[in-house]
Amino acid sequence: MKKLEVIIKTFKLDDVKEGLSALGVKGLTVSEVKGFGRQRGHKEIYRGAEYQVDFVPKIKLEVVMESELVEEAIKVIQEKAGTGQIGDGKIFIVPVEEVIRIRTGEKGKDAI
Amino acid sequence: MTASSSLARQNEIVMPYKDSDRGRSAHIDLRDHKERLFSDFSVGKIKEDFQENYSEIIDQYFRISIQESKTGQELFKKKIPFALVAVGGYGRSELCLFSDIDILVLFQKKIPADAKNLSEELFYPLWDLGLELGYGVRTIRDCVKLGKDDFEVLTSIMDARFLCGDSLLYLDLMEELQKKVIERYTLKFIHWLEGRNRLRMNNFGDATHLLEPNLKDGIGGLRDYHHIIWMAKALYNIRDARELEYLGKLSYQEYHELKKEIHFILFVRNHLHQLSNRKNDRLNFEYQEEIAKRLGYKKINKIPPVEQFLGKLHSSMEVIKILHQSFLLGHAFKKQKSKTTVVTKGISKGLHIIHDELSFNSATVILDDPSILMDIFVQSSKHGIPLSMDARRLVKEFLSLIDDKFRRSSKNFNSFLDIINNNNAENTFNQMFETGFLDTYIPEFGHIRDRVQFDAYHIFPVGRHVLETFYQLKNISKEKDILLVDTFADLRNHEILFLAALFHDIGKTGKGHAKRGVKITREILNRFNYSKEATDEVLFLIENHLFLAETATRRDLDDEKIIIQAARHIGTIERLKALHLLTWADSSATGPRAWNDWTSNLVQELFFKILHILEMGELATPDTSQKINRLKRQLRKLSADTLSIEELEYFFEIMSPRYKLLTPAADIMHHYEMVKDLKRQIDNQQPSPFVFNSRENKQGGFWEVSFVAKDRPGLFSDIAGVMALNNINILSSNIYTWRDGTAVDVFSVTRPLDAINPNETWNRVIRDLVNTFSGKLALSYRLSKKASPIISSSSKKPSLPPTVNIDNKSSDFFTIIETFASDRVGLLYLITRTLFDLRLDIRIAKIGTKGDQTADVFYVRDFDGQKLEDDAQVNEVKMALLHQLQSEAP
Repeated sequence: MKKLEVIIKTFKLDDVKEGLSALGVKGLTVSEVKGFGRQRGHKEIYRGAEYQVDFVPKIKLEVVMESELVEEAIKVIQEKAGTGQIGDGKIFIVPVEEVIRIRTGEKGKDAI
Repeated sequence: MTASSSLARQNEIVMPYKDSDRGRSAHIDLRDHKERLFSDFSVGKIKEDFQENYSEIIDQYFRISIQESKTGQELFKKKIPFALVAVGGYGRSELCLFSDIDILVLFQKKIPADAKNLSEELFYPLWDLGLELGYGVRTIRDCVKLGKDDFEVLTSIMDARFLCGDSLLYLDLMEELQKKVIERYTLKFIHWLEGRNRLRMNNFGDATHLLEPNLKDGIGGLRDYHHIIWMAKALYNIRDARELEYLGKLSYQEYHELKKEIHFILFVRNHLHQLSNRKNDRLNFEYQEEIAKRLGYKKINKIPPVEQFLGKLHSSMEVIKILHQSFLLGHAFKKQKSKTTVVTKGISKGLHIIHDELSFNSATVILDDPSILMDIFVQSSKHGIPLSMDARRLVKEFLSLIDDKFRRSSKNFNSFLDIINNNNAENTFNQMFETGFLDTYIPEFGHIRDRVQFDAYHIFPVGRHVLETFYQLKNISKEKDILLVDTFADLRNHEILFLAALFHDIGKTGKGHAKRGVKITREILNRFNYSKEATDEVLFLIENHLFLAETATRRDLDDEKIIIQAARHIGTIERLKALHLLTWADSSATGPRAWNDWTSNLVQELFFKILHILEMGELATPDTSQKINRLKRQLRKLSADTLSIEELEYFFEIMSPRYKLLTPAADIMHHYEMVKDLKRQIDNQQPSPFVFNSRENKQGGFWEVSFVAKDRPGLFSDIAGVMALNNINILSSNIYTWRDGTAVDVFSVTRPLDAINPNETWNRVIRDLVNTFSGKLALSYRLSKKASPIISSSSKKPSLPPTVNIDNKSSDFFTIIETFASDRVGLLYLITRTLFDLRLDIRIAKIGTKGDQTADVFYVRDFDGQKLEDDAQVNEVKMALLHQLQSEAP
């Protein structure tokens, strides 16, 4: 099992979500996050006051899936989240030791 | 309730759960009755009078079990008087399914040793039945002392109700309490209650607009009602809630409204207890739909039952909240006010100020001229003084005088605008809202007042949300984000924004609320005869009140086209500012999930980008919109035979905005053929595909060259180099990059040296381009080897020193580099090559020549698509360009 942590542009959420659902991903967690990478923040000046934005707003998806699905999922995410511009985001793949559904105690594949 | 009335009540009520069959012990009866009552409630046989029935069952248990109790008999024989007294919620006969049952075992002066046995006999069976029972065994003196030390206990004993035993003991207790505590500490008690209100506000919030209201402790909950009773008991020594009406402390209408709403809330609370299977006063989301169903709400006008239920609940709680507040103002605090002089100066005729409150001189002044109903609110906002309780009551009672004539009166509308524009608008609007004046004056407002949206996003019902949006703007000076404060100050017309805030959600009676809102608001403002221009502005803001938030979160803000379209849609800077403020006010009044750092950053970015486009003007003026529409029509005509409408649409979509503005329709069709040709080459997997075209402009005496290829960094410099190699000087050029990555470059160039066979030169150019693209021709090397006669011929003329300007402000998407230098063949190659070496991608270029001076403008980004934000890098670019321009100059 793997966890994919995916950082994408804010307006790409629906596309990526649809793509992953079509792949059979059953659930995912979405957060509104801010950060920076190669895409930097920017500064604005209005009436002499500076408006510095150090962090760029992004969407973070977390989704756990069986390892066999990962390759396909990455393809879908790249296709759906890509604009070809800087700031399209990143995918982190993390091994997952175990998954347990709290309500039933089911483990592993069944609990995803 | 006195002992005698309680006894009388016992006889007069015929209980369905009364059992005359006295063969069984009391707790068996209790168990059976309780089970039957609970199941009757589940199936809807018992409804809003559950708590009275339940209390009666418990009462009955105590009355019987005391007779069955051995210790009870013994105490009676020993002539030790005692009484059982229901206190707290049980005392008020307000027992819900899982309420605590609080009871007091009262003795006169001393607690006998038998007391412990008595409690065991009476209470153990109740615990065995799983009831939450709290009891105290106390003397009258204990009670008085406890009540004095702890007002919490005092309120519980104030609600005491005699159950059985010696009723005189109970009467003594109440009398002692009245004499020794309540009369002595009335004021302290009232202030304590007020402190509790604040605490409740902090801990549980204002339930009248919360999505998960606390039915008991929230503001507007049952506690508000209890506070009214406690205040009335402390101030007027009433014994029973009903005396509120008998003694005229509440009007007939108010009392019965209050009773009705309390019963409704208790009914809801009982369902909540049953569903959550425990004592629970917070109406959680998970239970709301089920309760709405149980209460029989049906879908009406596409509004789901749960939203109707919440709407009704909120308005019930609102009634309770307002009655409580006005009782507090009208009774509890009136007594303390010292200033009793009547002020009439500086106030409209028919009104006066007393106790720092506004009042009507009499009811007849309203009948004489109903517009005083509006006037009193004007005065309230002007002087920052609230309406007295009586005045509010009169406003409510005379709302029927607000008729069509009242609504159409321009005098009244101007007064309304005065209130909107006044700094005290918030307090005044709250009073207008609470008295129902606002709904009556603008009936459309009444339709959305209690509309609730069943989600975790909107924290207020629509009516309250609209007011909160308006208040956000009124209180903007307290806002931390200076950008909002500054743009608000810069706004020319605030009234338009205020009206838009008040009406922005008036269409929330169905789907597509922004559009519906426009229609409804138009009717309202026409009724008020508001000026046409201002109305249009208000309507624009209403129709587009979601535009910025939606664009910011759902569109690519790095796409210049999106920004330009948005700028064109909004049109003016004033509108943009108003829209930005409305977006902020609306979102922050919606809830913390609608407005936070994350969303505000996105909206702010969009705001600035649109602002810059609007400030520059060229791409977003109404003029350009017209121009572009005209172009589209021309293209349709020209392409009628060759292109389907869909193809044209797609093609039009991907063209860059500048391209559309600067290129004649005929040329566009020409380029389209080239693009198609390019596509064919790509499909055939031809190496380094491109399309080149040249034609002579006879009048101008120069040639026009068009070039189409997939864009890549360095492309422009390659073309410039090949031209220079063939002794062709570029006089001017426009290079464009379309949205699908196609580069369309248009050049005006000098005539080839071989004027008789120009096509030979062009063929050479094409050959050189192919070789350059495929790496077979080294441009820098060839150019340096080439001893250009042209360079030396122009070298003797006096020339200005070259200059380079780098502008990072004018565009949000590009760094703009301007170079000025003496013209010569190869110069453009040199500049563009330098930019390429610095890893800059030229997206737009305007090459101009005036005499022998060139003025070239390049819109560049780095290979990652970003502007040059780093000052050191900007300087490096500037120095590198200057170096090239100077060193090569003779």
